[in-house]
Amino acid sequence: MIRIEWYKQFHRTKTYLTLGIVAGFSVVLTIALVATGSGRTEFVGDLPLLLVPRSSGLTVPVIALSSTMKFFLPLVVALFAGESVAGEASWGSLRYLVARPMSRSRILWSKAAVAAALSGMALVLLALVAMAAGGLAFGWHPLSVTNSSASTALHTDVSVTGVSAVLGRLGIAVLYISAGMASIFAVAFFLSTTTRRPLVAVAGGVAVTIISRVFNADYLPGVMVVNRYMPNNDIDLWQHQFTTTADLSGVPHFLLLQAVYFVVFMGLAQWWFTRKDVLD
Amino acid sequence: MIRIELIKQLRRTGYWSVLGVLAAISVAITAIIGLTSGATPERLGDYGSVVPNSSGFTMGAIALNSSLLFLIPLAVAIFAGESVSGEASWGSLRYLLAGPVARQRVLASKVLVAGLFSLAAVAVVAVFGLVAGLAAFGWHPLSVIDLQHASPFATGLASFSPFQALGRTALATLIVTGTMVSTFSFAVLCSTLTDRPFSAVAGGVLLTFVSRALDNIPGFHSLGPWLPVTNSGTGLWSQVLFQPANLADYPHLALVQAAYAVVFLGAAWVCFNRRDVLS
Repeated sequence: MIRIEWYKQFHRTKTYLTLGIVAGFSVVLTIALVATGSGRTEFVGDLPLLLVPRSSGLTVPVIALSSTMKFFLPLVVALFAGESVAGEASWGSLRYLVARPMSRSRILWSKAAVAAALSGMALVLLALVAMAAGGLAFGWHPLSVTNSSASTALHTDVSVTGVSAVLGRLGIAVLYISAGMASIFAVAFFLSTTTRRPLVAVAGGVAVTIISRVFNADYLPGVMVVNRYMPNNDIDLWQHQFTTTADLSGVPHFLLLQAVYFVVFMGLAQWWFTRKDVLD
Repeated sequence: MIRIELIKQLRRTGYWSVLGVLAAISVAITAIIGLTSGATPERLGDYGSVVPNSSGFTMGAIALNSSLLFLIPLAVAIFAGESVSGEASWGSLRYLLAGPVARQRVLASKVLVAGLFSLAAVAVVAVFGLVAGLAAFGWHPLSVIDLQHASPFATGLASFSPFQALGRTALATLIVTGTMVSTFSFAVLCSTLTDRPFSAVAGGVLLTFVSRALDNIPGFHSLGPWLPVTNSGTGLWSQVLFQPANLADYPHLALVQAAYAVVFLGAAWVCFNRRDVLS
């Protein structure tokens, strides 16, 4: 079942196009960095981390992940998750699918598995292409990062990480960001079971990240209380890996939060889809 | 024609839920700030600073400030992108055009209604923020600190009487709507080119992202003033809440937005007039 679904979803122009845009982003980013002066310091994230692209090609995946994790990647994830069931319904073939001698939950979960695999693939692709393009452009050297929130006029807080350690930490970053997409994935997937218009499901997933961005204490200090419970706000904690102090205390809370969002909305999806009157 | 279009769109639950989400977010922001941290200063635009519990009028501006970056552009792209391609996706566009009405009028009424909804989206954010804010913090004069001009010698403080504050909020709403014109026009253009509302909405959102990305690349600095969506253009609305207000950049903003509107809507007009409508 999963294999059939994979075949159906992967060999779609839209999937190729989306993955192509994701990979293209990393390439365009590298070209833009080369073209507009790679010796300039880039400010990355809210800390912010200060990076000089020319010093090492490994800065490129850090920049690529940081600049996409709050909108572009959630959009891609919402696209795969939101299309999964609603897309089938909009083609009018959902009823033939559920007419087969197979439980509805198996259909649902194979669709979820494939959408999740495609989302993960997009994320890995982004990081790998950025790493390759960055390496080609600037070479693979140890990564040196200045943490400007810990730096003062007298002391610059610089952490230098060797190439293999950076690769490991980027791997962790990719895992952490994929875990952080779980909430958006689950919301878009749930909406996908309730509508036959993929736009509604995708827009709903994107709206979750946008609402999260609105209720973010970094931009609106007054909403501090809800900041920790918003689905996408702490997605940037992985950046702390590249600082000397590496304050990762928020990570368990964030992972738990993602698990709660995931269980609730996937549960709703399951509940809804197994009871739904499928007419499309 | 406009009335028919308006009635048709007013009956759509999707449109009401978009406006409902915007209203709910404004109210939720006010409620959270009111309950937990009314005394924490909040930023407006790039340089403004207000203390929420000093006056209910702060919340209209805070709500605008927090929604205008992503939420309002998405709503505008939805209204504009759905306009023509929504009709096409229902398969009723050809019947609409078969009626004894010129295509231009069909397009014009659709664009006008989508424009009204977009204006409503911005207004809903401001009005619900304002009403919730007045309920929470009361009808007091509004004071805004201009951090750009604040120094040990001058506080950069601007004060507005309640009625002035009301007028300034209305003005800010109009300016924020004005900065959405290019996004709106581009989504309308996409809407006339495709039968899939999804692509049209995505096109509108894409414009804002590409434009912001170009705006942020240091090498393209000279391009900045001519891009449809920029950080400086987005932050300009807060100037009407300062004293003295620096209004020098508004004519340029209006000109750029008008130019994009003419180009994109003109292209939409040409495309829609020539298109072979099959759905």
